[in-house]
Amino acid sequence: MHEMSLVQALLAQLADLATEHNKKRVITVTLDIGPLSGVVIDSFQFGFDILSAENSLTKGARLIIVNPPATYQCIRCGHRQSSLIRPDSCPECDETLLIPEGGDAIILNQVEME
Amino acid sequence: MCDSCGCDLTDNHSHNTDSRVIKVHQSLLAANDAIAAGNRAHFEAMGVVAINMISSPGSGKTTLLEKTIERLKGKIRIGVIEGDIETDRDAQRIRAKGVPVVQMTTGGACHLDAAQIHKGLHLLEQEPGGDKLDLLFIENVGNLVCPATFDLGEHQRVVLVSVPEGPDKPAKYPKAFISSQIFVITKIDLLPYFDFPVADARADALHLNPRLQVMALSATSGEGFEAWIDYLMGVTKNKESGAQAEG
Repeated sequence: MHEMSLVQALLAQLADLATEHNKKRVITVTLDIGPLSGVVIDSFQFGFDILSAENSLTKGARLIIVNPPATYQCIRCGHRQSSLIRPDSCPECDETLLIPEGGDAIILNQVEME
Repeated sequence: MCDSCGCDLTDNHSHNTDSRVIKVHQSLLAANDAIAAGNRAHFEAMGVVAINMISSPGSGKTTLLEKTIERLKGKIRIGVIEGDIETDRDAQRIRAKGVPVVQMTTGGACHLDAAQIHKGLHLLEQEPGGDKLDLLFIENVGNLVCPATFDLGEHQRVVLVSVPEGPDKPAKYPKAFISSQIFVITKIDLLPYFDFPVADARADALHLNPRLQVMALSATSGEGFEAWIDYLMGVTKNKESGAQAEG
C-alpha cells in the first residue's frame, strides 16, 4: 500500500502549488499513472478520497487519472509497439523478448484551482 | 445534471471565473528522486557501490548477506543498511559478522525511501569503519511490490526469489523485475522438495526484462555462490578502475 505515500506526496505538491499561485481550493487534479508504475489505481483513488478530505484545500477535489501505454521494443528486429498490457511477442518477428520503455510514470499533469 | 452549467458532473466543480488550470507535469516521486540523486552523489563521493536488495519476507536476503560478508571479509569493505518494519534483529545478525550496520525501522511503512537512506547513511558513517566502504548493501523491507517504486540512489538493484515461494513471482510482480539488474533465485538446495522449474522462472523474468542477469544459488550449501561473488567483485572492481580513470 505504497499508494498512500504517493498520495501524501501529491497533497504536499498541491499545497505548494496553492501557496505559489495564491489559490484556496483544488477543483480537479489530473495525473498520468503508467501501467508499469507499480501503482494500483483503485488504491491510489482510495487513498486520495481519504486524505484529500482531511484539509480544506483538497476537500471535494476530483481526481482524473489517465493511464498512458508503455512502449515495447523487440530485442531482435527493433519493432516498437505501444500497449497498456504487456504483449506476448513481437507482431513482426514473433520474438518474445521485448524491452519496455516508459509506462512507469506517476506524473501530476495539471491542477485546476481557485 | 449541474444546474449552473448543464454539465454532467454531480460532484464538486467550480463556476468561479477565478479558477485556473495550472500545468505541472511533475512526478509524484520528484521529492524522493531528488533525495535519491543526493544519495547517489554521496555514494560516489565515498567511492562505494550501493546495492538495493528487494524480495518477499523470508526469501533469504539476510542469510545471503551473512554468507557474503564471511566470504569477502578482508577483500572488500562491506556496510549494510537494514530496513524492516519493526525490530533490529537483522542488524544484530549482520553486526555479529563484524561489519558496520544500521537498522532503519519504518514503523509500518512497506518500503524504504530515499530520505531514510540519507539518514541511514549519516548514521552508518558514525559506526566504526562505516565511512570507508567498497560495497553498501541496502536490505529493503521484505515486500516484492512497494520497494520497487522508490529509487534510493542505488547503483544496482537485486531482486530475489526463494525456491519455496514458487516460480511465478516474476510474472506476478513485474515491477521489481523490470527495475532490477540482477535476479537471484535463492535456496536452490531445496529444489528436490519443491516444484520450482528454474528455467520457467528465468524465462518469465527475461520476458519482462531481457537485460536481467539471472543467478541461482544456495547460501547454505554454497552451490552457485561463486557467480554471486564474481558479480560483487566485478561491480566493486569496475568502480575502482572507474575512479582511477577519473582521478
